[in-house]
This record gives sequence, C-alpha cells and structure tokens, in this order.
Amino acid sequence: MPYASSEKKPALIWLQGVTCNGNSHSFLNLPYLPQLLEKYEIIYHPLLEGTSTLHELVLNKAECDVLIFEGAYDPLMKRHNVSLKDIVTHYAGLAKYIIAAGSCASFGGMFKASAPERNTGLILNESEPQGPLLVIKQKVINLSGCPIHPEWLGFTLTMIADNREIPVDELNRPIELYSRLAHHGCTRNEYFEWKVDSKAFGLKEGCLFYEQGCRGPMTHASCNHILWNEVNSKTRAGTPCFGCTEPDFPRKNLFTTKTNMSIPVDIPVGISKRSYLALAGVAKTFHIKRLEGKLIDEKRNN
Amino acid sequence: MTKKEIIDHIEGEASISFDLNEDNHVDFATIVFPHFRGMEAILKGKPALDALVITPRVCGICGHAHLMATVRALESAYANAGLEITISQKAESTRELTLALEIIQNHFKWIYLVIMPELRKLVKSDEIAPVLKGAFAASIATKALAIFAGQWPHSSYMVPGGVTCDITHVERIKAEGYIDELIRFFEKDSLGMDMETFLSFETCNEFSSLDSDIGEIEKMLKEANMHTLGFAHDRFITLGKHSFTQIAKGIQTRLTPIEHKFVSTEKAYSPTDMSYAKNALYKDTYYEAGPLSRAMANQVPLIKNIHRRFKDSAYSRVIARIHETAYLLRHVKNLVQTLDLSEPSVIPPIDIDTLSGEGVGIVEAPRGPLIHRVKIEKGVIQEYEIITPTQWNIGCSTKDKLTPAQVAMKGNSISDSLFIFRTFDVCSVCTTH
Repeated sequence: MPYASSEKKPALIWLQGVTCNGNSHSFLNLPYLPQLLEKYEIIYHPLLEGTSTLHELVLNKAECDVLIFEGAYDPLMKRHNVSLKDIVTHYAGLAKYIIAAGSCASFGGMFKASAPERNTGLILNESEPQGPLLVIKQKVINLSGCPIHPEWLGFTLTMIADNREIPVDELNRPIELYSRLAHHGCTRNEYFEWKVDSKAFGLKEGCLFYEQGCRGPMTHASCNHILWNEVNSKTRAGTPCFGCTEPDFPRKNLFTTKTNMSIPVDIPVGISKRSYLALAGVAKTFHIKRLEGKLIDEKRNN
Repeated sequence: MTKKEIIDHIEGEASISFDLNEDNHVDFATIVFPHFRGMEAILKGKPALDALVITPRVCGICGHAHLMATVRALESAYANAGLEITISQKAESTRELTLALEIIQNHFKWIYLVIMPELRKLVKSDEIAPVLKGAFAASIATKALAIFAGQWPHSSYMVPGGVTCDITHVERIKAEGYIDELIRFFEKDSLGMDMETFLSFETCNEFSSLDSDIGEIEKMLKEANMHTLGFAHDRFITLGKHSFTQIAKGIQTRLTPIEHKFVSTEKAYSPTDMSYAKNALYKDTYYEAGPLSRAMANQVPLIKNIHRRFKDSAYSRVIARIHETAYLLRHVKNLVQTLDLSEPSVIPPIDIDTLSGEGVGIVEAPRGPLIHRVKIEKGVIQEYEIITPTQWNIGCSTKDKLTPAQVAMKGNSISDSLFIFRTFDVCSVCTTH
C-alpha cells in the first residue's frame, strides 16, 4: 500500500501539449473535486495553484508520481523554452502512472491535424502504436474523449490513490469506462430498437443513427451512463454522437450517416451485417403509432 | 535593460519581454503567444456543418462562443445567398441563455482562480485564495448550460435554423433551479448581499458595505492603486448582436454606431520570438473589448460612475467584469423563465450541400467580440477566418502605436504590469488558434 493515509500523498503533475485547454476545464466540473484534490499533492496544474512554477517544472526540479498529459504530443513544441520531449521524457520516467487526458493525448485527436507528420498521442498515433512513451506503455492509461469526461478522470485518479488495479482494453483505456457504447443508456433507444429515425434536428423523438450521423452504437464511451455535467449527453440533447473517444476522431461529415441502399454503412459494434439487416428488416415492418409523432402530443390525444 | 517573463495560469501560455527604463519601470512590452494550432487550415475543405464540431475546440473555456459564431456565420451565408433561413424566438433565446451561462462560468473562474490569488500576492497577503469556489460556481453554471447543450465543454447543439435540443418544462425548471442555486451562491459566498441590491449600486463607495470576497477584491484593488494604473486608450468596442448588450464603439463616453466591415487584422510585432498572433483593429485603430466595453455600451450607471472617476483603469476593468456576472445572472434567470416552449427548436433550411456563398458570424464571447468569416462552395468550406477578443486587447505592436494591453502596462513596475495584463483575462489558446 504505497499511498496509505499515514504516508506522503502522491505528487501530481498536469502538463499540456498542443491543446485547447478543454480537458483542464472539463476536470474542474468534477462533482467531488475538492475531495479528490485532497488525495494528491498538486505540483502543477494549468489552472489550479500548485507547489511548483512552470519554470521549476521544466528544470526537472519537481517530484512526480502521476503525470497527466493533455493535448497532442508535438516533439518540437516548447514549454517555457524547454522542449516537450525533454519534459515528458523526464517526468514519464519518474511517474508510476501516466494519464493521457483526452483524445489528443491518447491518439493525436483534433490537433494531430496541426502538424500531421509529427503530432501523435503518447503511445498511439490514431490507432497505430507510435509515440514518445511506447516503450513504457504499461504505465500509460488513455482516457480518450473530446474533452475528457471529468468523472472518468476522477475514477482513474481515485483508483490510483486507493492503490487499486485498473484493467484496460487494447487501446489502454479503462475497461470499466470504455466497455459500454455511447448508445448504452441513450434515451432514444426505443427508436433505435424499432428503427424509427429522427425526422429532423430539434426533436426528442427518433434515433439519430440512421440519417444524422450518430456514432453512438460504434463508439466506446459511457456518456449516456455517466452523464455529462451530471445532467445530460449529446444524444439526449438531440446532437449526434461524433465518436470522439475513438482513434479516428474527428471523422468527416459528422452530421450525416453514410448509407448504402438506405442502410447505414457502419453498423453497431459486435453485430454481423447480415444479422443487423435481418433484424432491421423485420423491425421496419411494424408501424408503431406511438413512435410516429411527438410523444407528449400523442398522450394528449388519448 | 530587458526582462522576460513567461506567463502561465492563463488560458495557454504567453511571454512578455519588458524594456525597462532607469527606475525599472516598463518602457515597452513585447507580448508573444507561442503556440499555434492552425485551426483555419484544419477547417479548409471540410463539410460546412463539421465546423460546428471543430470550432468549439479552438478554446476550452469559450468554445460555446465559437459554436455560436460558426452557426451565425453559416446562417449569414444562407441569407447572403438569398436562401431562406429563419430561427424561432425559442431557439434564439436558448442560444443567448447558454452563451451567457458560458460567460458567467468564465467570470467566476477568472475572479477566483486568477484575480483573487494574484491580488493577494500583490498586496502581500499570506492567505490562500478560495480558488475552488470558482470551479464550484462554474460547474453549476455549466450544469444549467448542459441541460440545453448536452454537455460543456465542446457542445455542438446549435445548427443552422435553431438548436438540436427539444426542451420540456421538466428540463426548463431544472435549469432554473441551477441558475437559482448559482445566484444564491453568488449572493452568499461572493457578494455577501442580495444581487438586486448589488445591481442597484451607483457608485464604487457602496462597495465599502461589502464584507465578502467581492468586497475584499475591491479593497485590494484600491490598496494596490489599481484605480490609478493600467489605463488603456479609453476606446471601447462591442460587435456581437445580443439580448444583453448594445453594438457600439465608444471613445471615452461618446458612443457611435459601428460596422463590422471595418474590422481588419495585422500581423503582431515580433522582433525576436516567433509569435503566431494577429492584432485586430477597427478602422486601423485599437479598441479595448470585453465586459468594460459592454458595460459602457449598455450605459450601466455603476460602471459609468467608476469610469468618470477612474477611467479605463485596471480597477474599472475588474469591477466591470464582476458587475457583468451579476447582470448576466439576472438575465439568464429572466430568459429561462420566459422561454416559450411551443415554438419549434429548428426550422430546417435547405440542404447545406446546395449552398455557395460567404457569411460572417459575430458573437460577444467572455472577453469581447469574436468574429468568424466563412466562404462556402457547394457546402464545402473554402476559407475560414477567426478573429478573437484577445486579438483586440492583447495585440503586440510597435512603440508608436501601442495596443490596449501594451499601453496599460507602460510606466508600471513589472509586478503591477503582470497584474494589469491579467485584468484583460488573457486567452492565449484563442489568440493562436
């Protein structure tokens, strides 16, 4: 038990590469932020007060048990006039755990496109094994998402502080967070079940998978299980899932479903195309009146 | 003598090189924003609607303003092409509501994570600032926001013709509950008095009745002489059309109308370091943008009174932002109460793949006017230009034509200059998009 209460708190450093700061801000929404911060000694965070300055940090003077890295990794980028390569290599060597916070740090993400020939994630370049920490990849936990979900990071940091194991998937993401699909828990599931598409944006009714580009059934994420800001998710608010936790984010044509003979080209994870087509064909033969109009109007008419 | 300081704990990173005179005061400051991400190039060649997902990722703290600038730019392209585009009052009010909530969360973070800790350092107080109050208040604001927008940061719930959400009263009431909770927090934990009384303040003398965080900030500002320091050009600009502000430029207290076509940019002065920033100008002149400018355009009695006494000092800048927090809290409460849910959320325009043309979207972001200009050919982005508020305030120019932040720092000690710099609420990530 390296972090039992009588002992020193683990030292936490939050470092940024090519980023929008969105993960740092998302983390501040964590409902139990004060309690979590009690478990760590915050050495450096881009927004919160830490015990070291950025200057001390880049001189390799700080301790580090857990390194959080936000943003795409650009080896040529400098922080406080020191190359990111030097800073990341040093602290990753010291750290027991390294957390890639968000899709840029995990896979390159949105800001891979800023310098496609050199920007990557820490251990993955999209889904290919490549990155500065590949040789120590067993220490790296990828928390993909654009931005990171605060409770996913809260979970990971708490598990580490409590000295519990965190099993990960083939992309080094915690299984407990990424085994579900974004589809799981979506309030539109009944429409998915009966293959009723949403007629347009701005409606509570209908599934966004058939026309509006929703990636929910193909995206490993617990957004509809662990809600955003504790209250909602994109799909509940009528916005399609853009698949932001997957290595191919951002894809193109994010508001349109690619179809072949009006069947979505990409189908739900783990289902054979033949089975999906058979099921969809049958489901479409039912015409369920209560799913055709506005639910609230329908109730009023009865 | 030249001294270089790296500024962190802002949005991103900046560095300032100070040329000092013989009594160690700033003669000239060169500001550099080093990190470039190429957002405009990333947008080129993308399907137009994809911009609704890409541009919020310009900035982790004001991404919602970028979303709204994009949707307005696309809608303006529809209108300019002679195609029908209308949005319901419900959709318009919902957008205003979530935009204002984003500004509110920004201001709470700035008050507690930036201004209070920096002021305490400046007046040599040993007490640790209650920074997590800022995070808590911001998280309540973003809960209310997410009820409409699905999530914050990085929502994409505005689409041409409206908003994707379909709010019912259950959700509207829940959002109002969070807004009420935030107002209570602001009254109890920040102001130490009820918000309406605060909003009725007409002079800064009334702050002396506050025994609270806001009262302490006001006292520390005066103790640090910030009412006599940090003057910019006394020129103000607001450009975004909203329910909570007027569009105008002001020279001192004189307001005149404004047209966005006179906005231009020039490359920032950068003698040694590589800076990727551009300065924003109106008719080749620098203006200050943000809450102080909005309060001057709105003719807020308290801020006009403070401006009469202390001009556009660092003090005025900070108090205007605190005032705007209260002003917008009252505004969002009113918006959420008066939403007419019977109207449509989206009035779908024709398919964007048929659209060719140009559009401009202008929004008041937390730090001031945000401008997106887009050129579309058959639904595909040909060109995209983004001009952010920090480009107005914290440009870097030559000695003969100083930007608002440069002139505000001139003549001050380095420690005062660094505080004055932060009173503009620096967003480096937006600037070097």
